[in-house]
Amino acid sequence: MKKKVLSVLLATSMVVSLAACGSKEETTDNAAGGSTAAATETADAADTTSADDAIANLIAATEGTVDIQLWCSELESYQTVMKELTDKFQEQYSDVDFNITIGAVSEQEAKDKVLEDIDAAADVFVFADDQVNDLVNAGALQEVAATYTYDPAETNSESTVAAATKDGKLYAYPLTASNGYFLYYDSNIFSEEDVASWEALEAKAEEAGTKVGMNIADGWYVYGFFAGAGCTLSMNEDNSNECDWNNETGLAVAESIENIASSPAFVNVADQDAITMLTDGTLGAYVSGTWNATSFQDQYGDGYAACKLPTFDVNGTATQMGSYAGYKFVGVNSHAKNVGWSMLLAEYLTNEESQLEIGLATAEGPANLAAASQIDSPALAALAAQSAYADQQLVGSNYWDPAKALGQNLVDGAADLQKVLDDAVAGITQPVAE
Amino acid sequence: MKTFLNAVKKYFADFGRAVAKGDIWCKLSLIILGAGYFGRKQIIKGILMTALEVIFFLFTGLFSINYIKDLNTLGTVQYEAVFDPLTMKNTVNDYDNSLLILLYGIVGILVILAFILLYISNMKAVYRLQLMKEEGEHINTFGEDVKSLFNGKFYITLLTLPSIGVIMMNIIPIIFMSCVAFTNYDMDHMPPNYLFTWVGLRNFKNMFTGGTTITFSYAFVRILAWTMIWAVTATFTTFIGGILLAKLINHENTYFKKMWRSLFVVTIAIPQFVTLLLVSKMFADHGIVNTWCSNIGLTGFLKDIGLVSGNFIPFLSKPGWSHVMIILINIWVGVPYQMLSATGILMNIPTDQLESARIDGANKWQIFWKITMPYVLFICGPSLIQSVIANINNFNVIYLLTSSTATANMAFANSNAKETDLLITWLFTLTNDNSNYKMASVIGIISFVICALLTLLSYTRMISGDKEEVYQ
Repeated sequence: MKKKVLSVLLATSMVVSLAACGSKEETTDNAAGGSTAAATETADAADTTSADDAIANLIAATEGTVDIQLWCSELESYQTVMKELTDKFQEQYSDVDFNITIGAVSEQEAKDKVLEDIDAAADVFVFADDQVNDLVNAGALQEVAATYTYDPAETNSESTVAAATKDGKLYAYPLTASNGYFLYYDSNIFSEEDVASWEALEAKAEEAGTKVGMNIADGWYVYGFFAGAGCTLSMNEDNSNECDWNNETGLAVAESIENIASSPAFVNVADQDAITMLTDGTLGAYVSGTWNATSFQDQYGDGYAACKLPTFDVNGTATQMGSYAGYKFVGVNSHAKNVGWSMLLAEYLTNEESQLEIGLATAEGPANLAAASQIDSPALAALAAQSAYADQQLVGSNYWDPAKALGQNLVDGAADLQKVLDDAVAGITQPVAE
Repeated sequence: MKTFLNAVKKYFADFGRAVAKGDIWCKLSLIILGAGYFGRKQIIKGILMTALEVIFFLFTGLFSINYIKDLNTLGTVQYEAVFDPLTMKNTVNDYDNSLLILLYGIVGILVILAFILLYISNMKAVYRLQLMKEEGEHINTFGEDVKSLFNGKFYITLLTLPSIGVIMMNIIPIIFMSCVAFTNYDMDHMPPNYLFTWVGLRNFKNMFTGGTTITFSYAFVRILAWTMIWAVTATFTTFIGGILLAKLINHENTYFKKMWRSLFVVTIAIPQFVTLLLVSKMFADHGIVNTWCSNIGLTGFLKDIGLVSGNFIPFLSKPGWSHVMIILINIWVGVPYQMLSATGILMNIPTDQLESARIDGANKWQIFWKITMPYVLFICGPSLIQSVIANINNFNVIYLLTSSTATANMAFANSNAKETDLLITWLFTLTNDNSNYKMASVIGIISFVICALLTLLSYTRMISGDKEEVYQ
């Protein structure tokens, strides 16, 4: 009996210590809420003097160490430049004692990681634009209700700001505007006329004995063909999709894609395999984005070139391919422990100088217009040329798997295209499971 | 069943007797747990018990009751925050967090249950003390009690930590997860900003009536069939392969036995994660194996006889090809394990049986099929069933080998599935990509039930107590 007592005692003490943790957290929450509730007064934050006041107030009100966790891509270039920038940030506010830790969570994974546990996620994180919708829906993003050091809406390109906005509210600070795709090619093989259309590109590739590639079995890329021909894909309120790819135009597009894919010079390869082929020297042109710029530059050498996506033939007319534009944003966690400092850090990381530094370090194109004009590279120029035909990515999650299978069917040369398209559209537009 | 009911009856009867026949100290123990010990001069124990009681009431009254009372709704006040641009802080209301309510609610109820058990056994203990006192037996001092924990009752000391570990690491998470299956915890109801609540059996209904995707039933039947085929084939191919390999290495004409064995063990030493990813790259549509095959003309030959339609062999990207490849690759990954365990078993076959068979004139094949295999099967039976179950849930092999390929079957794609998906990988993509915790929990419960049933069945059939002597 006594031993049972002991075990219960141990169990109880553990539960009590658990309870202690829980209640402590809660009291700090309440305290924070209480102190700010008293200070709620209407203030014009756009006014620079009051913005300076607010920062001065924040510095005065800050006691102890300010812990901020920052998540950005695991790539070495990113980690290094972010470390430099946060160091500078700490110098700028040298009155405050910071403890800024940088974690490695890539832009693509940010949403999944943040939504695992919003309370435990980083205070400031870099994420890709397709996650804005889900993050805002889950309430994970702090609205950019006021800015203190610069106005993101003025300095960044309009489309990036629009992509960071939902229901008229800005939810993130634009960082880069180069997450889209375009065509890399070897100018020793292809001339500028060759890369203007898929037909000319493939004819030349067959002649030169090289391959041209694109990942058609992927919703992100295959969208470019259908969007270019004027087919529509959009998202409803409940995250289901609207799609009309099974109409006549869609059918013509699908036939055209099958044509392109049936060329012996064409390969349907995903990113990593494409880089393998590239280093083998068998890939002369490929549709990809800035993240692969160095690989293509190293391989093609002085022949390294990039341009907007080629046109393709729909019912006899050369049609320009569309694409998804891609952006990266810096977001502030709505449950950040130090919202004020987190917002200031996010502002600092996305101001003109920082964006320029990040752009130079990572070969990505800044969202800031002034910074973007100071970086010159073939990849970014190609992206800029493509941007006129690029759309913001607004699509529900039911799109991806059916679109991927649609692409695979087109690559395989499916015979009954109308049925494939009908099935694909049925899958894309299926209701979101409750 | 009857003995169980009797035990329960006796449990409460003992408690009733203790209350009815106890003296004043015993009765006082109903209110102050330590009273019974104070009355018998066990002061320290009395203080400990009373302290436990106080801690329990403080914990429940001040902390867990706040969560337990909200358990029926899982919270009603939604998170609201107002940003104050001047102080740069969020003003947050006193909101409910459904996740914490569920978690601490469960913990709180478990603590209450534990206290009730403690309360009853405490009552019986003090009554026993009373009896001992009346009969003039020796009553342990606190020091003697502690000492007995390290001597006669050492097992209790040893088991305390593991028991707490099991409760914290297994029981609470399992109860929690099972509860989530009956809520609407998903992307649209993410705490802390939003509340989730009970929805009864709706998730199970969705799962079984195929309301999850438009081609759910089409995909479900096919994936279930492939899961079963895979589990059985994968288990038996590696098992047979392992035994044959072990026999081969053990053969009297095999030289360098240890070297061969070590070479195969090396493949175990490399994490599966790495080997599988590498292999999936090697067998990719434009991978190194395809380059070889087209260089030696194999791709052209297969194309001529109509087995391949493109310029490459779709090892992992087309159904049929990929099904076979996955099983072959799994043999390569899994055989060394089976070889190791088979080696151990083969070395322990009673030699008298082999010898008498040989004297009776049996040849090697007869010995292998009539004596070795039955023996190995008898020994390995339970572990074979176990590996069938493990293979039903063999996420790694399937996911790592095929996650980068696309299906061309629209009906599968419309359910986020592929031909090579197992139930577990399919449900992973169905739920993981959408933070759909409620459905993940439903699936967790279902696969738990399947695996538990299989395990129970196999164990009761194969190693129920007396079977040990059956094999002779």
